[in-house]
Amino acid sequence: MTEKITAKNLTFYYGTVPAIKNISLSVKANTVLALIGPSGCGKSTFLRCVNRMNDIIPATRVDGEILIDGESIYEPRYNVTGLRRRVGMVFQKSNPFPKSIFENIAYGLRINGVKNRYEIESIVEKSLKSTTLWDEVKDRMDESALGLSGGQQQRLCIARTIAVQPEVILMDEPASALDPISTQKIEELIQDLKKNYTIIIVTHNMQQAARVSDETAFFYLGDLIEVNPTEKIFTRPDVEMTENYITGKFG
Amino acid sequence: MTTHLEQELEHIKSKLFEMADCAIESIAKSVRALKESDSDLAEQVLRDDALLDNLEVEVDNECIRILVTRQPAAVHLRLVLAMLKINTDLERIGDLSTNIANEAIGLHGRPPLKPLVDIPRMAELSITMLRDVFTAITERDAEKARAIIARDREIDTLNMQIYRELFTYMAENAHNITQALGLIMVSKALERIGDHVTNIAERAIYYIEGIDIRHADE
Repeated sequence: MTEKITAKNLTFYYGTVPAIKNISLSVKANTVLALIGPSGCGKSTFLRCVNRMNDIIPATRVDGEILIDGESIYEPRYNVTGLRRRVGMVFQKSNPFPKSIFENIAYGLRINGVKNRYEIESIVEKSLKSTTLWDEVKDRMDESALGLSGGQQQRLCIARTIAVQPEVILMDEPASALDPISTQKIEELIQDLKKNYTIIIVTHNMQQAARVSDETAFFYLGDLIEVNPTEKIFTRPDVEMTENYITGKFG
Repeated sequence: MTTHLEQELEHIKSKLFEMADCAIESIAKSVRALKESDSDLAEQVLRDDALLDNLEVEVDNECIRILVTRQPAAVHLRLVLAMLKINTDLERIGDLSTNIANEAIGLHGRPPLKPLVDIPRMAELSITMLRDVFTAITERDAEKARAIIARDREIDTLNMQIYRELFTYMAENAHNITQALGLIMVSKALERIGDHVTNIAERAIYYIEGIDIRHADE
């Protein structure tokens, strides 16, 4: 399997304080990497480096590099808009546009230049089907997306992300505000999506990391402590600190 | 720092140690009953087996409860999985001891074929191994557990030696067959006990190091 994303000696500073320090890791194509670690350990910062979301925060700086398909995304001439099209993101709190269900997905397509009404309808339907939302919303496509349940809204946001056919999906605690059934649907969705996408997910729920990911990276105070196949991390981690964290002995 | 989960695991572990003590006692008593032709003692072994059976169910239930409610990981997960399996091995050792006790009852009143030397030796060996494997678990000493696996060969050798000897007795005189067969069953039971202790040592290594060494040399 080829490496889709590679971080090389990545350090990210808020002001002069490094939030992540000298991180090197890689994610293979069509796999799921879970990032775990206590709050403030740098896992979300790392995630946001992958689509340069941190660029919009003032007084921040990046050392090292991130390669996607071997290409350094922090090169000055790199097309950031293009990057964000290739690297979609799903947030903890679902954030649908205050528009109809249909428009939520169609919007991204239109601004990406898809004009044909039939093509848009077809992609909207396909995206909703792949997030298993289609049957629940097909008769109310013109209703406001804000009227959907939390779990449905989150799946809509994932549908919106995949409609523009990214290559990578970043998920920042995508199920932490959802009930168990909705969580299960999101987790199953992640498993289905990895056939076509490479996924990085930040989660505080360690069982979730164990269920959905192929590899798990444990961050602590900005350092990458260990990255290993998920099964290994959860049965016999190499580093004692990882073991202490996942067995709840931290502190 | 000890977490609540660790306290609960310690509690289950102490039950497993209690089971080990029961199993050791059953081996020792059943072989003594055979050696001293003491059918009362053999009956006691049969009665006491219920204790092991009950503990087996308790340990199983508590491990399942931990899995469901705590979703243990890493060393905790390995300990729960190891305990679930060691539990079964200990219960089987108890059953094999009752097999020995039944032979002791069956052979009661018959003149001894020969003074028993190798069978008590096998029993002693398996008891020592069982004690050591639980020390290895307490001390989380994988090397100690590995050494126990190697010692199972001594038990196997004794078993084969006993077979050969008893076949000779049977070949010499058909009247010896009942007693010789009884002793062969006992020897076989002790050999199986050795195998279960080996299993426990393998599970101990899994708990300590996270490595599955079963069937490694096959």
